[in-house]
Amino acid sequence: MKTAKKAIIGVFSSEDSLMDALCRLLAENLEPAEIYTPYPVHEALRLLKRKSKISWAAWFFGFFGGIAVLAFLYYTAVIDWPLNYGGKPFNAFPSFITITLVLIILIVTILTLLTFSVRAKIYPFKKAEILDERVTNDKFIIVYDAEKVNRDQVVASLREAEAEEIIEKQTV
Amino acid sequence: MSYATEVRGPLVLGNKKLSQVSDDIIAPVGAQPGKWWYAAMFVASLMLVYGAYALYITFTVGIGSWNVNNSVGWGWEIVNFVWWIGIGHAGTAFSIFLLLLRQTWRTSINRAAEAMTVAAVLCAALFPLIHMGRPWLFFYIAPYPNTRGPLWVNYNSPLFWDFMAISAYLLISASFWYLGMIPDFATIRDKATTKMKKTVYSILSFGWTGSSREWMRYEGTGMVLGGIAAVLVVSVHSIVSTDFASSVIPGWHTTLFPPYFVVGAIFSGFAMVMTLMILIRKIYKFHDYVTDRHFDAIARILVFISLIMGTAYLTELFVAWYSGNEYEGFLIFKNRVTGTYAFQFWAMFICNAIIPQLFWSKKIRQNLTIAFVISLVINLGMWYERFNIIVTSLSRSYLPSTWVTYHPSYIEVGIYLGTIGLFTTAVLLFFRYIPMIAIHEVKSVLKHNEREHGMGDLKPDEQ
Repeated sequence: MKTAKKAIIGVFSSEDSLMDALCRLLAENLEPAEIYTPYPVHEALRLLKRKSKISWAAWFFGFFGGIAVLAFLYYTAVIDWPLNYGGKPFNAFPSFITITLVLIILIVTILTLLTFSVRAKIYPFKKAEILDERVTNDKFIIVYDAEKVNRDQVVASLREAEAEEIIEKQTV
Repeated sequence: MSYATEVRGPLVLGNKKLSQVSDDIIAPVGAQPGKWWYAAMFVASLMLVYGAYALYITFTVGIGSWNVNNSVGWGWEIVNFVWWIGIGHAGTAFSIFLLLLRQTWRTSINRAAEAMTVAAVLCAALFPLIHMGRPWLFFYIAPYPNTRGPLWVNYNSPLFWDFMAISAYLLISASFWYLGMIPDFATIRDKATTKMKKTVYSILSFGWTGSSREWMRYEGTGMVLGGIAAVLVVSVHSIVSTDFASSVIPGWHTTLFPPYFVVGAIFSGFAMVMTLMILIRKIYKFHDYVTDRHFDAIARILVFISLIMGTAYLTELFVAWYSGNEYEGFLIFKNRVTGTYAFQFWAMFICNAIIPQLFWSKKIRQNLTIAFVISLVINLGMWYERFNIIVTSLSRSYLPSTWVTYHPSYIEVGIYLGTIGLFTTAVLLFFRYIPMIAIHEVKSVLKHNEREHGMGDLKPDEQ
């Protein structure tokens, strides 16, 4: 998330109170900048239209990885240094499938992890931008960028949505 | 969407609040362990030292220090390799098959199963490496442009597939395990009271904040890794089995091997998970998270797989008789069921196909002392199975002049004990520094508890 200069944070104690509030706020056209939860809340992800395209990326990695592996096997086993293994054809396609499958899995794993790291910005030695330390424990928060919304309207709506606390915070 | 059924009881007991879940699971992390931990670590270290000595002799003298010979070219090392890699199938079986099948009861167990997987695969990977004789040249097996031609590897060889499959498996199981821990490390970071702990777990948590964008991609990545690892878990042990099945040795050359190996691997893995979870629950008093129902579910799976194992053993006997192949018949009936290695055959049969049948009884499923013993017996039986497959076939080959009886040397025993020491050390470190139960996953099933059983502190779902 691009961190807001000043954030308005509504704190909730349960998934249900978060969902009630989120429905109410979205009905008022107040789309939050971000929500933070201790575990993935699927209904909330659906409401906020958060849908990962990572499985598509993985599919492409697998497809093109597979072509690359077969091309590599063909080059090494047929063009570069053909060897006769028990009379099999140099391009022993059926017996190349097992290793192709394993290498596709290897390629997809590595590239998917890299994609996750880049897209979600999760990588070693990254300093976390923590808005409220309790979100990894037992609180659910809804965050607004104070510069992009009407502050008073958001605060009033969060209060109406029964936020336990409303915090206004200067962030990085 | 809820995939929970009324049939299964509450997944977490004790009306836990979200913060209680964090507190309960984090409590042992970094805390001073009991005396038992130091005692266990001492024993594991002794085994590690013996293993290190055995490896030193292996590297300096060569594999002539083992008792393998021209007839029994694969001895304890390959037995132990297959045994460890089998145990290493539990993490993936638990985490991935049950994740893809949306089985929420996995949440209390998957972390330990995955940790065990990584440790077991590390132990397994050691054996093919040292079996090469000159392990410092192990990279010859990788297909890279080299100055030997360039001469490429044989892509038709199961041994090459094995190398790649195990490397991929180690990578994927370790990354799946680590990925699962990132949000939990963040929880420890945010609850840490000492600077040291905060710094360490800040680094380990990779800057996790718990935002919806992170969760979305996290879950997507988890499903992708899960999906492809499910294929891998089946292919790894199938490939291990083709190390044997693609040869022309009686007792190895059989189409039964791939499914037989995969099922056997999951069998030993589940048994090891049971062993470990009984210990974790007992020592750390995680009774609310690892409930009797969890053990009941594992025991039911074990009794089912045991039936498959028994069927596989009987199929081998039947095919040896029905095929009329004299070599196969000789091997199975004169050198497995009877003969020098009859003890190992019957130990395998009784431990894997007979004793786990006790789990049909509800009383035994609920008696964790007996369940613990049975889980150990299964792993003993699975070790005998691999010994039975590898050594009996090689020790009585086609020519009687090549017949030998194989016993391991003290170096081979040392390497095996060393890997047990390595595994134990890894598990003990896991107990001490890593949350043993997936905190965020348990939190996510509390809602199911509330919905289905009216437990927990959550209000009814009005969506």
